Amino acid sequence: MQNNFEKLQEQKSLFICLLITGVTITLATFFGKEVAKVVTDFTYIIVTASFVVLSIIISSRFRKTGSHGKAWMLFLGTAVSWCMAETTWTIYELVYHTNPFPSLADVFYISGYPFLFLFSIYYLKPFNKLISRKMILITSLIAVSVLIPSLYMTMDNNSAESKFTIALGATYPVADSIILVPALIGIFLFFRGEVNFLWTLLLIGILLEVTADTGFQYFTLNNLYYTGHPTDI
Amino acid sequence: MNVDQDQLRKAMVSLAVEKVLLGIGKPIYNNVIKQLSKDYNCYLPECYEHPEYLNKVLKKIFGNAHVTIVDSIKKELDECMTQKPIAHFVTAISE
Repeated sequence: MQNNFEKLQEQKSLFICLLITGVTITLATFFGKEVAKVVTDFTYIIVTASFVVLSIIISSRFRKTGSHGKAWMLFLGTAVSWCMAETTWTIYELVYHTNPFPSLADVFYISGYPFLFLFSIYYLKPFNKLISRKMILITSLIAVSVLIPSLYMTMDNNSAESKFTIALGATYPVADSIILVPALIGIFLFFRGEVNFLWTLLLIGILLEVTADTGFQYFTLNNLYYTGHPTDI
Repeated sequence: MNVDQDQLRKAMVSLAVEKVLLGIGKPIYNNVIKQLSKDYNCYLPECYEHPEYLNKVLKKIFGNAHVTIVDSIKKELDECMTQKPIAHFVTAISE
């Protein structure tokens, strides 16, 4: 863990980027929902576009060589899907002035998950001998426990939203928890190694995704969600 | 004659390690080479004489998962395991 802490200290630029993104959205909320909506939509396009650029750089370094080369190509697939999703969401919201949920944006958001799952599979493939059934079982139990609040909201709600919208909202935390399984396995496998840093970041990212998606589901079901809502940060 | 044999074994060990690491990805191979050079001022073929350097670098990069890399290297060198220096190399990187 000390290794990870040292790595985190080295990654100042990453922290600065995260801080700027968070502060920008937080500040925007002080200027009203409309400003928050515009700022959040554009910030997300910039963030996901940067995600695509960084994925292209890593993929080009590997040039499809080995199992990890394929893994990073799949990671690029996730980045492209989510960038398209954010762009579509913004077009629906700011150009057509319609509610972007549910919409075509969801197709792009959801299609990013299989890519991310396959990325984890290809990344862990060279180390599959170390992955025991017990490890899969324990990580699956953790993933299911993370899912409980979302499942509870899906089963027990008085929302006026259609069943399709409710089910679609629940799809995100389910997809997040599926991704959580290989992420936890990665943390265990690469414990004390430099590669563990990547998996720690991935795990933190997925846990934040679970929180944000569960929050999105809750506030949407209660008709309280708007783009730029604190859950977006 | 002995020197030639040793050079041959050195080459075999280098090729085995290279093959396993390239199987994961070229930047992974490059990273191992870089760490060997940075931490121990050592090139891959020299790991035949200093297997403990390779062992430490693999642990540093892959943590617990270095065991799988070592297993794959063992598998690559399986046919030569009857040769004592190769068996010694494999034992040393497994520690």
